[in-house]
Amino acid sequence: MIVYTRSVYQALLTKKYLTSKLMPILAMLAVMLSVATILITWSVMGGFLKTLVNSGRSLIGDVTVSWPNVGFAHYDELIAMLEEDELVEGATPIIETFGLIQLPDDRIELITIKGIDVQSYNRVTNYEDTIWWKPIDEPTAKDKDASDVRLEPDFTQAMEMFRSNAMTLTRRNPESGITEQAGVLGVEVTGLNVRTHDGIYDPRSFGFRALPDGGVERVPGFMPAGGSVGLTVLSLDSTGKPVDPVTRTIPIANEFQSGIYEIDTSTIFVPLDVMQEMLRLDEARKVEVVENPFATEIDPETGNRRPKRSEVIGIDPARVTTVLVKAKDGANLQQVRDRVYAIYQLFEDKHKGEVPSSFSMDNQVRTWEEMNATMINAVKKETGLVLFIFGIVSFTSVFLVLAIFWSMVSEKTKDIGILRALGASTPGVAWLWIRYGTAIGLIGATVGTIVGIAVVRNINGIHDWLGETFNLVIWDPRTYYFIEIPHEVEIPKAIIVFVVGVLTCVLGSLIPAFRSARMDPVKALRFE
Amino acid sequence: MSDQSTQSSILEVKSVRKTYKLGRVKVPVLHGVDLTVHHKEWITILGASGSGKSTLMHLIGGLDRPDRYPEDPASIVYGDRVITSLGSKALDRYRSTEVGFVFQFYHLLPELDVLGNVCIGAMIRHGRLGYVSNRKSVESRAKELLERFGLSERIKHRPAELSGGERQRVAIARALINEPAMLLADEPTGNLDLKTGESILEVLAELQQDSGLTMVMVTHDERIAARADRVIRLVDGRVEEQSMSQSV
Repeated sequence: MIVYTRSVYQALLTKKYLTSKLMPILAMLAVMLSVATILITWSVMGGFLKTLVNSGRSLIGDVTVSWPNVGFAHYDELIAMLEEDELVEGATPIIETFGLIQLPDDRIELITIKGIDVQSYNRVTNYEDTIWWKPIDEPTAKDKDASDVRLEPDFTQAMEMFRSNAMTLTRRNPESGITEQAGVLGVEVTGLNVRTHDGIYDPRSFGFRALPDGGVERVPGFMPAGGSVGLTVLSLDSTGKPVDPVTRTIPIANEFQSGIYEIDTSTIFVPLDVMQEMLRLDEARKVEVVENPFATEIDPETGNRRPKRSEVIGIDPARVTTVLVKAKDGANLQQVRDRVYAIYQLFEDKHKGEVPSSFSMDNQVRTWEEMNATMINAVKKETGLVLFIFGIVSFTSVFLVLAIFWSMVSEKTKDIGILRALGASTPGVAWLWIRYGTAIGLIGATVGTIVGIAVVRNINGIHDWLGETFNLVIWDPRTYYFIEIPHEVEIPKAIIVFVVGVLTCVLGSLIPAFRSARMDPVKALRFE
Repeated sequence: MSDQSTQSSILEVKSVRKTYKLGRVKVPVLHGVDLTVHHKEWITILGASGSGKSTLMHLIGGLDRPDRYPEDPASIVYGDRVITSLGSKALDRYRSTEVGFVFQFYHLLPELDVLGNVCIGAMIRHGRLGYVSNRKSVESRAKELLERFGLSERIKHRPAELSGGERQRVAIARALINEPAMLLADEPTGNLDLKTGESILEVLAELQQDSGLTMVMVTHDERIAARADRVIRLVDGRVEEQSMSQSV
C-alpha cells in the first residue's frame, strides 16, 4: 500500500500560502534581515582584518631573518644566496631599533627606527606606495571636494621633489646647497598633519613650542620642507651591549602612511649606513689590545722608541639586525620560510663562529603572519566575538519563525483537518509545513544574501549618502584610520550564511510541523 | 434508490462505542452501535444534536477510532477490510480512495480556486509523480463533475466568491474526484436555505441513482431522511430503529 508523503498538493499549498498571507512575508523579512546583517558584519570585519593585515605586511616583506640588537655580519652574502633561490623574489637588509626622537616642538618620544637600503627595501616591500607627499592624479575615495594639497598643480613640482627625496632618503640643504642624508617619518608622528573627515592630511604650516615663561614659539610645521628631528640611540659595543648615547639631527625627506596607526605614529626610516654608524654596527678594524701599559716599540718611520700601539688584526664586517625576504608570487609562505632557514644553515656553515648559529636562528626566521600574530589574532577574535553576538541575535529569528508558523498552523487547523479527511498522511502534513518553512528560508536567505552583497559592495556609497542626507557619519577616517570602510564578500562565507539562514527557517518550522502532524483530524475539522 | 435485499453489504459496523474526554470528564457518545450498509444503498442516520451521528460517520470514514473493549471488540468492516484494525497509512489510503466526505460547512480550502479544491483529493491520492502523469485525466474528470453541477463557469473562482449552494456542490465534486465507492455526507444541507438544500439533495440523489454510489448521510431533518433508502434513528448513541424510508 502506497501512501505518498510528498505530493503536488504540498507544492500547490506552499505557493498559495506564500502569496496570500502577510505572515510568511514577515517571516521572510526576518530571515532576510538576519542573513543580510550577518553577511554585512562578516564581510566588513573580514575586509577590515584583510586590510589591516595587508597594511601591516606592506613594510615587512614575507619572511624575516632577524638577530636583534647586535645583528649579524656578512648579510650581503646571505642576501645574494637568498636571491639565487627560485622561491625568493628579493631580499633587503635593515636595522631595527628603538630610540628617542626630538620633535620640532622639542617633545621627546620613543620611536622605532628602521635603517634601510632604500632601493632594495622598495623592491621587497611596498615602501614607495606608502610615501604620502607625492603628486597624485585623482582625489582619494572620500575627498569629494578634491581638497587634497597633493592635487594642487602649483605643488606638483614640490611633491615630485618630496617623492624623489623619499626614494633616495636625502634632502638638499637650502642654506648650504649640500644634499644630506635624511629620514622619512610616519605621517602621524609629529601631530602636525591634521587628518580630515575626508581621510586626507591637511599639513600645518607651523607648530608651537612651549616656552618656560608660559609663552609659545613658532616652529616649522611641514616637515619635508625644511623640518628636522633629533634621533638618539644607544650605540653598541662589539658584544652588543649599549655603550654611549649617540644623537644626530636628521632632516626629514618625506612622510609615509602604512595604514597601521601604531606604525605611523612611531616609526622613522633612515639610511642604513646612518644607523650602522650610530649603533656602531658599521665596518670596523679589529685590533689587538696592548695589555701592558709600559710596553714600547720602535717607530718604523723615525727609528725612535714609542709606546706600543694596538695592532690591527682584521676587519669587523658591518652588521644588520634583520634581512627581509620577498617571496615569488604564489609561493607557499611556510615553504619559503623553510627554504630561507635552509639557506641560512648553508650560510652559517660558511661563516661558523662569525654569525648566529642556525639552531639559535630557528625561531628568528619567521613569516609575516607569525610576526603579526598578535595583531591578527586580536582582530580575528574580535571578528569571532561580533559574529557570535550577531549569531545569537539572529538565532532569535528561529523563534520568530517558530512563532509565526505556530500561529499559521493554528489558523490553518481546519485546512489540516480537511487534508487529513481527504487522505493526507501525518508525515505528508508535516512535510507541507517543513516545505513551507524551507521555501520561506530559501526566499528570505536568497534575498538576504543578495541584499547583503549589494550593501557590502556599495557600503561606502550608502555611508556617504547617509552622511549627506542625515548627517550620519559612522565611519570617520579620523577615528578608524582607513579612508573607506573595508569590505570583502567571500563566496564561501556567503554560502555559509545562506545555508544557516535556510536552516534557521527549517528549524523554526519543525515544531509547528510536528504539531500539525499530531492534530486529531476530527478536532481539526470542528475547529472554529 | 436500490433494493437492499438484492445487494451484499459494503459496510458492517458492530459494537462500536466511543467516549470523548472533556478534561477529566468522560462523555460517552456511542453505546455499541450495530449497522450494516449495502452496496449502492442510500442510508440516512437520523438523530438529534448530540446523538452521536457525526461521530459515527467519522468512525466509518476512518477519521477516528472506536473505543477498545476486549470483551466486546468493536469492528467496522468495509468490504473485506477491517477498518478498525488498519494502521494509519492504510487508513489514510482508505480515506483517499474508498470514501468521499461532504461536510455541513463545505470545508473548502480558501486559497485554492474551484478546480484546485476539486483536484486536491487526487493530488493526495496519486502522489507527486502519479499526479503529474494523471493530471490531464484528473482535471478532465474535475471539469466534467463541475459541469454536471453547473459550475463550469466558476472553476477559477475562489470559495469566498461562491454562494453556499455552489460551495457545497464543489465539495461534492471534490468528494467524488477519486471515484469512491461510498459517500459520507454530514448534514450536507444544514447550512443552506430550503431551496438550495433541495437542489443539493437532488444532485446527491441523481448521483446515487446514476453511478450506484453507496451513500451514508447524517441529518436531523426527518424530511431529508425520508429521501433515503433506509433510515437509522440514533438516540443517545444507540440505534433505536431501522426503517425503510417512506418513499421506498
